[in-house]
Amino acid sequence: MSGMIVLPIVLPLLGAFLLPVLMRASLGLGLWIGPAILVYGCWILGSQWYGGATLPFSLAIGGFAPPLGINLYVDQLALLFAFATQLLGLLFWPFKLDAETPRRQALMLLLVAASTGLALSGDLFNLYVFYELVAVATFGLVAASATGAAYAATIRYLILSGIGSVLTLLGITLIYNQAGTLNLAHLAQLAPERLDNSLGLSAFLAILIGVGVKAELFPVNTWVPEVYATAGSRLSAFLAGLVSKLAMLIILRLLVLVFHQPEAIQVMLVLGILGVVSGELAAWRAKDMRRMLAFSSIGQLGMIFIALAIPDGGGLLAVLALALHHLVIKSGLFMLADGWGGSLERLRGAAKASPLAAALFVLFSLSLIGMPPLPGFWAKFTLITELAAQNSPLYLIGLTVFLLSTVVEAAYLFRVAALLYRPADAETRPEQLPRPGGLALTTASLFGAGLLAATLFVTPLGDLLIHVSGQSGNAALYIDTVSPGIPGGSR
Amino acid sequence: MNPGTLVSPDLELILYATAMGLITIGLAGLVLSRHLFRMVLALAIAEAGANLMLVLAGYRWDAVAPILMSLGQPPRMVDPVPQAMVLTAIVIGVGVQALAISMLIRIRQRYGTLERGEVAERMDAEIATTAGIPRDVSQEGPLGERPLPPIPGSTAQTRGGDA
Repeated sequence: MSGMIVLPIVLPLLGAFLLPVLMRASLGLGLWIGPAILVYGCWILGSQWYGGATLPFSLAIGGFAPPLGINLYVDQLALLFAFATQLLGLLFWPFKLDAETPRRQALMLLLVAASTGLALSGDLFNLYVFYELVAVATFGLVAASATGAAYAATIRYLILSGIGSVLTLLGITLIYNQAGTLNLAHLAQLAPERLDNSLGLSAFLAILIGVGVKAELFPVNTWVPEVYATAGSRLSAFLAGLVSKLAMLIILRLLVLVFHQPEAIQVMLVLGILGVVSGELAAWRAKDMRRMLAFSSIGQLGMIFIALAIPDGGGLLAVLALALHHLVIKSGLFMLADGWGGSLERLRGAAKASPLAAALFVLFSLSLIGMPPLPGFWAKFTLITELAAQNSPLYLIGLTVFLLSTVVEAAYLFRVAALLYRPADAETRPEQLPRPGGLALTTASLFGAGLLAATLFVTPLGDLLIHVSGQSGNAALYIDTVSPGIPGGSR
Repeated sequence: MNPGTLVSPDLELILYATAMGLITIGLAGLVLSRHLFRMVLALAIAEAGANLMLVLAGYRWDAVAPILMSLGQPPRMVDPVPQAMVLTAIVIGVGVQALAISMLIRIRQRYGTLERGEVAERMDAEIATTAGIPRDVSQEGPLGERPLPPIPGSTAQTRGGDA
């Protein structure tokens, strides 16, 4: 049943609006609804992957065939990220019980619904709407911390996000003006004749900067440190781990299908390099755990942008590997930061209080740096080989920055690891040492276990990723699957 | 698409220039204003420009609204897709602006100011205090702790209480 694929979007959306009412009627029942919806969503998406349907397929919503109607495009890449959304939504579910619980859970469901939509939609304007929905849900969730700093961080995020949405809308308008359609498959057909010009390029750049706000692209990422420092760790993990990757997914689709200009990827390469430099150096200077992780996430996403800038889809495998790797690592690290938030100096001797958490931190750090048997090594190795194969000097600069950034990463992560294992001050008793809470530690252990499993099964995983990236990089397959009726496509 | 069928290309040019002008004014306002409320207003102006641009993408001067088709056989109709899209965009924009204003009210209650620099300073101070690290002061700044001015008005009493 391919039609089932709408349910992971529709059910959380429906749940989000009904939840506050239901919780007023019966709190006990309401508390189960959100997780139940997400578990069901995971099950649907999982069964689609395992033989439920032949991938890729396209589903016309409302019975109107594309390009008139909006379609969902389901390939392995989309399915993978939709599944990750539902799963992470479940793992980072806001369990905390207080007066704000109904609202927080409703917003979380809204965030999951919109994120799933971002992964699946095949229409540019539909993507824009889901993107805004993600933004609004995020504002609410960040502000739910209810501190002055959280409100100030939210308004900074909101204003940047507003600039992003104006630019995205501008880009969409330019595209519509040129091509008269916003269906991605139809655009892919029309792009060579309609969008291969300076207007098309400016449309892409506007959308790149606009969507880049969520993807933590270099000049528009100033919201990142404050938001991650003031929002709850679980929300930060969801934003840094998943939402940034979904924004990246939009850019990936646009690059594969519509925009093939060399200037477009050069701009992206430069912004990616600047992101790596600024993010990693700022992380090196950071004095508290959360902001260190936030800056490091800017650097990591810069690396993904560098990978995305490799021409002719050569970097797609590296993009996918780096993105999934960062998803697992950063989620795990933010979970550890749940108890270890605040000044890094506080962590002196914390390994004694919680040996498992310290071991997990070392494991995540090693993989993030790229220690050979761990998956992070393979992800980085793929990018290095692809970058070294390019002729242009700009890519070699990218390679140099990439390798140097690894040194910086090692410096700041090992500094924390060293603090963890150093003996604590004589006057601090072991009970006073910070330690992650039980739930956070369990979640982090799950990510650690996933990382180790990926290390053991790295060969089949690599084959799978090669297949997924090959499928997502195939523009002809995308067009054939959606087959928007009118070839040539006049308005 | 080709705008050759338009009655008045000059008017179209003026409208496009207006749209781009609104976006430019909005973005310039965002960069230049020092007050958060003005920044939100600038954002609204920029959004209006983007929306105008979107409407223009599908408008034709010699055509009627597609909903008036039953009144006979008009030769042409306006492209309805951008109009549907701009409605969506307006709704999203208004929602976000309302949210922004409510945030501003909360910030005013907590910090007693909406000046961009002061809010940023208080935010940094609060994050630093929560994290337990010394505040990140510039290398060029004067030595020693520079205390933040007290929160003016009656809001000072409510500051810590309802957090």
